[in-house]
Amino acid sequence: MPEHKRGPVDEGKIRELLGRKKGRMKLCLTACASCGLCAESCFLFMSHDKDPRYMPSYKMVHSLGRLYRKRGKVSRGQLEEMKELVFKNCALCGRCYCPFGIDIPNVIAFARAILRSQGIYGMYPHSVGGPEAERRDGDTPQGE
Amino acid sequence: MQTVYELARGPLVWVSALIFVCGITVRALQFLFVTSRKERAFCPARPADEAPPAAMGDEKKINMIVRFQNTLLGRNPVMAIVTVVFHSALFIAPLLALGHSLLIYESWGISLPRLPDRLIDVLTIILLACAFFFLMRRLVIPRVRSISGVQDYLVLFLTACPFLTGFFAYHQWFAYKTALTLHMLAGETMLIAIPFSKIGHLVFFFFVRGLMGGEYGFWRGNRTWSQ
Repeated sequence: MPEHKRGPVDEGKIRELLGRKKGRMKLCLTACASCGLCAESCFLFMSHDKDPRYMPSYKMVHSLGRLYRKRGKVSRGQLEEMKELVFKNCALCGRCYCPFGIDIPNVIAFARAILRSQGIYGMYPHSVGGPEAERRDGDTPQGE
Repeated sequence: MQTVYELARGPLVWVSALIFVCGITVRALQFLFVTSRKERAFCPARPADEAPPAAMGDEKKINMIVRFQNTLLGRNPVMAIVTVVFHSALFIAPLLALGHSLLIYESWGISLPRLPDRLIDVLTIILLACAFFFLMRRLVIPRVRSISGVQDYLVLFLTACPFLTGFFAYHQWFAYKTALTLHMLAGETMLIAIPFSKIGHLVFFFFVRGLMGGEYGFWRGNRTWSQ
């Protein structure tokens, strides 16, 4: 299981990745009318007490949208905040419905790729190094 | 004020119309550039004798109800109805208003169909009520508020402004010339903003839903976001 990097953020790498799909991603982000109609199509949103942080458009706008707005100039802390949105709060199941046909999982998958380029990965509860596994094995949690 | 009025009634009309037309053309082309054609999967039609029997009677009614409940109208009926009414009034009122038709006739000799002033008035009030509903929805509902930024509120204001100022101008409330000038400037600002802001969903909605492959597409569906 790859370990989390703790060094400085490679802004050049982020900008390079953002530039690769800039046209497509920015079009998706611009087309989003912030209507909130995608919310109830997400099973995670419905099962987490309708918490706005599980809403597809929220996940999209506060991860990749934030990276484009800041032009890649983000801190590691900000990337860690995005980690939860794109790895934990989204299963990329494709169930989300957008009245404008925006492919939200595509956008979130791209955000995941950018986070992985900075050594930030989704730590699932039962995976090696994850909190559940470590509690089970009696080790102190690492990397979370 | 006379200078501003002449500017708003004259060159700015052409400038805003030009920016609007060029802008939405660029947006449409941009959409075609960032998407690509996808190969359609060949799905041979199922032979008639292998198809399941068609639902009849109560089962058919239940199927229709379930399908309806999974639509936007079924899940968010108020929002769906307000959206349709708002967008209908947004197009009908400016295009078929008597004042606008007369201006076009005086300028270019083209006679357009028109609706009675009283009806345009009612449509304007309905549109402003719908805009107020959208504003309240954005402020009150947590999931909508969480993704709303300055641009979302500004876009709503930009859309409602021409109708509000037009209502004032028609009824000659406040200073007529000022209200009229503001009405023209508001309309021109909205036209200019369309290609560069979220009001661009005017273009995106039809292009994406019409051309992108997906279960909610309503036309060709032969394009994809992936390349």
